[in-house]
Amino acid sequence: MNWLTQAARIAGRELRGGLGGFYIFLACLALGVAAIAAVGSVRVSITEGLEREGRNILGGDVEVEWDFRGASEAERAYLASLGTLSEIHDFRSMAATGDGSEADRALTQVKAVDDLYPLVGEVELSPEIPLEEALAGDGVVVHPVLADRLGLEVGDALWLGSKPLTITALLRREPDAGADGFGLGPRTLVRRATLEESGLLSEGSMYETKYRLLLPAETSDDALDALKAATDTELEGTGARWRDRRNAAPQVERFVDRIGSFLVLVGLAGLAVGGVGVSAAVRAYLDRKTPVIATLKTVGAEGRTIFAAYLMQIGVLAAVGIVLGLILGVLIPLAAGPFIEARLPVPVALGIHPFPLVEAALYGALTALIFTLWPLARTEQVRAASLFRDVSGPARGLPRKRYMAALAISAALLIGLSAWLSGIPELALYAAGGILAALVVLVGAAWGVRALSRRLARTRLARGHPALRLALGAVGGPGGEATAVVLSLGLGLTVLAAVGQIDANMRAAIDRDLPEIAPSYFFVDIQPDQLSRFLERVQGDPAVNRVDYAPMLGGVVRSIGGTPAREIDHWVTRGDRRISFADALPAGTRLTAGEWWPEGYDGAPQISFAQEEAEEIGVEIGDEVVMNVLGRDITATVTSFREVDFSSGGIGFVMIFNEAALSGAPHTWLSTVYAEEEAEGQLLRDVAGDAPNITAIRVRDAIDLVTEALSALAAATSWGAGATLLTGFVVLIGAAAAGERGRVFEASVLKTLGATRGTILTSFAIRSALLGAAAGVVAIAGGAVAGWGVLTMVMEAPYAFEPVSALVIVLGGALATLLAGLAFAWRPLAARPARILRAQE
Amino acid sequence: MVLSLRDVSLSLQGNAGMVDILHDISLDVAARETVGLVGPSGSGKSSLLMLMGGLERATSGSVEALGNDLTAMDEDALARFRREHMGVVFQSFHLIPTMTALENVATPLELAGARDAFDRAAAELEAVGLGHRTGHYPAQMSGGEQQRVALARAAAPRPDVLLADEPTGNLDQATGEAIMDLLFGLRDRHGATLVLVTHSQELADRCDRTIRLVDGRLDRETRRTAEAAE
Repeated sequence: MNWLTQAARIAGRELRGGLGGFYIFLACLALGVAAIAAVGSVRVSITEGLEREGRNILGGDVEVEWDFRGASEAERAYLASLGTLSEIHDFRSMAATGDGSEADRALTQVKAVDDLYPLVGEVELSPEIPLEEALAGDGVVVHPVLADRLGLEVGDALWLGSKPLTITALLRREPDAGADGFGLGPRTLVRRATLEESGLLSEGSMYETKYRLLLPAETSDDALDALKAATDTELEGTGARWRDRRNAAPQVERFVDRIGSFLVLVGLAGLAVGGVGVSAAVRAYLDRKTPVIATLKTVGAEGRTIFAAYLMQIGVLAAVGIVLGLILGVLIPLAAGPFIEARLPVPVALGIHPFPLVEAALYGALTALIFTLWPLARTEQVRAASLFRDVSGPARGLPRKRYMAALAISAALLIGLSAWLSGIPELALYAAGGILAALVVLVGAAWGVRALSRRLARTRLARGHPALRLALGAVGGPGGEATAVVLSLGLGLTVLAAVGQIDANMRAAIDRDLPEIAPSYFFVDIQPDQLSRFLERVQGDPAVNRVDYAPMLGGVVRSIGGTPAREIDHWVTRGDRRISFADALPAGTRLTAGEWWPEGYDGAPQISFAQEEAEEIGVEIGDEVVMNVLGRDITATVTSFREVDFSSGGIGFVMIFNEAALSGAPHTWLSTVYAEEEAEGQLLRDVAGDAPNITAIRVRDAIDLVTEALSALAAATSWGAGATLLTGFVVLIGAAAAGERGRVFEASVLKTLGATRGTILTSFAIRSALLGAAAGVVAIAGGAVAGWGVLTMVMEAPYAFEPVSALVIVLGGALATLLAGLAFAWRPLAARPARILRAQE
Repeated sequence: MVLSLRDVSLSLQGNAGMVDILHDISLDVAARETVGLVGPSGSGKSSLLMLMGGLERATSGSVEALGNDLTAMDEDALARFRREHMGVVFQSFHLIPTMTALENVATPLELAGARDAFDRAAAELEAVGLGHRTGHYPAQMSGGEQQRVALARAAAPRPDVLLADEPTGNLDQATGEAIMDLLFGLRDRHGATLVLVTHSQELADRCDRTIRLVDGRLDRETRRTAEAAE
């Protein structure tokens, strides 16, 4: 019989004792695995739903999109040759209840469609009439939210631009809503032909044209690839963007992917917290087993046999914990399914998805291994002599090299796996580093608070205050729960504090900073001949503090400095870019290099480039930029760099041409107006009443939308952090429960020596508070560092320490420790000394 | 009388129902007297000692110590009474593992509000020959050393009554003898009343009086003076 078989037999016999005493171990592991499995399952459910329903979501097999223009005859002919072609115009506009300045107005996202729309799926209306009927004549369909906002019902008139229309139905379901991403206003659906006299969609105005293609049913993904390559070549340099059924809703997919990955990282932090509990449970178990291990050694068991026997037992227990976690991880998304489906514009394929379960199980197994190897390795250091001599006190020194190597390999595997599987390797590595650093700092803090307590216990300060000295002695003395409590609580609180810091900072940025500097309105699509009347109105208003305006048109970058745009990986060179022109240097603009062209300059075209973007792309003064503007290639030389702050909410263009280069091209004007809040309503009515084609985007509404999206993000993150904290609390309860035996004994001895229950309780409370405070201080620092890292490195936002959030979290932590400590103090306080002390004889 | 027990019975809840431990015990212990409680295992010696110290509550009967009715006191009152009047020594020492020897000895003095708790504790440790081990934790000491710390802890507040539950039970003979010499020395020095549970006849013989228990009842009382007279 070899040593492994022997070990298996010993393990089997030992396991007959059942799972008693392992509830904390199981809970810690199951919670961590469940959180990760649930997040992963939801993520896969959504992405699988997107894949399966891609054609329906996109409203076709392929979509080719242009900004600010429709396809030329040749382009349209090419697309039509590929399959059934449908054309959609998508733009923002003002929907109004009338045409005068008394009318109510609201921003809407208009979708102007042709007779073929939708190529795939069904539009659902209320009343249930066919779309064809609803859009016939001057018919228009609106989203119920828009109808509510304007107080309109079916049958009422609705004005788009200068065109009165009739609401024929409300939009219940728009099959391709997921593909359109997040719009700024509720949807209006209308025939393109109906808008002919509306004054909207004129050359130079801001709109998107989408060409949806239905391909023959047998078109494979390979054929799609070939088609994409052919189309890329055919339409190269026209600013056309390709999308097909395989990535129908990239915004939703990216959003879900991002938040899913982020939550998995939070889940991993939770698993690390659970690991502390797992480790403590295994330590306690092996401590109880010391006589058994010593006996086994006495009768001839080798160290490796004993190590393997206990590793097998922990393995079986870990498997039970992981399976429990997986069951929970499958059930939670199924239970929350309707809630998740109601909040997403895309279908969700809820069910059992094996991949995220395997991922969660792997994380769970590796975590269990990492956190139990150390105490397991110590079993080799138990000497047979401990049976006969009370060699109490923990074993010292490091485990043997092979165990240390196994530990390092497991940790590397876990970190590597999370970096690989999360799809955000950089953030995963930072998170792993952060968790590791937090663990090290917490171990240090635990050591520090113990050393400090030992020292304080011996100072005059503690003398004469038995409750304080008892607490200091318990925290600083050998054994005890100090390390486990500080580690688990500290790590849990650090994760929570980090999430709190990130959330509070982002809210602060939106609530406090932005509205102060942001304009009230963006007015877009102002036609050149409307500009002077518009400026007259807004500049003449005493409630308006500032008006900025600039001409705007669309263009496609062909090449920069001789490098074709497709070889430059930067957002500036992708698709259509909004550009502007100016003669004199616009007020408030600061040049960082080069020189602005002289007034009235009409020589070879010149460009002033945004400093930061120029640096990112590698543009230098003197470089030539070839820009296609409405079908005409313009070659311009970069002659200056400017400072452009895109975060201020004002007007900012990456490229400004000299006036003579572009003023002949069709363009519209963009204006930002900074006004007192109470004047905003009248301003909108006057401007839109005078020129109904001008679209006003109220910045406060846009901010509300961002805040709403952020709240959803914060809510999801809070759930993740909540799972981590719950694990932390389980560990805390485990530590308190494990310490209960010790406290019962201690309380009995102290009563014998004359301590009242009040003194004993005070002592327990002080030690809980000490540990909670130590964990809390580290959590504040760790949360601040993690918050700073995520905000500055991942979100590229400024960071400021948010003391309220931090304090609340830390006080909560100290209180939780106190409560857990006190909850487990009743038994020690109630115990009769004689029974307890004699049981130990 | 320092200790006075009248018709004391003790029943405890066992796994198979109530177990009667002591039956109608009545006895008195005079000031400065040394009493040895002897008897076979399970005869109720230690339980009787615990009742005297207020560490266990009698099911019926009265237990008076220094004129105070212990059965009428609550847990805290008992604790305060012990810190002023009693010292207890256990077979398993029962030192607090998270405290050094000095801290263990100082604790009852601190609880009693002594300002010089640590100086007195140090002196007490010196007296039991452990002046050089004050900073050590229990786990770092041998059984004999731990019991000496426990003795110092019990004696430090100068109690009126010293209760010792088989103080040498966990020690080898030589160490045990040394501990007993120390215990009796402390008693002599402080003039305390001593009640001692022991299995050792030799030890019991050093007491003024020996009380033998069998099955929870008083079986026989022997006085050393009387014995010597016979």
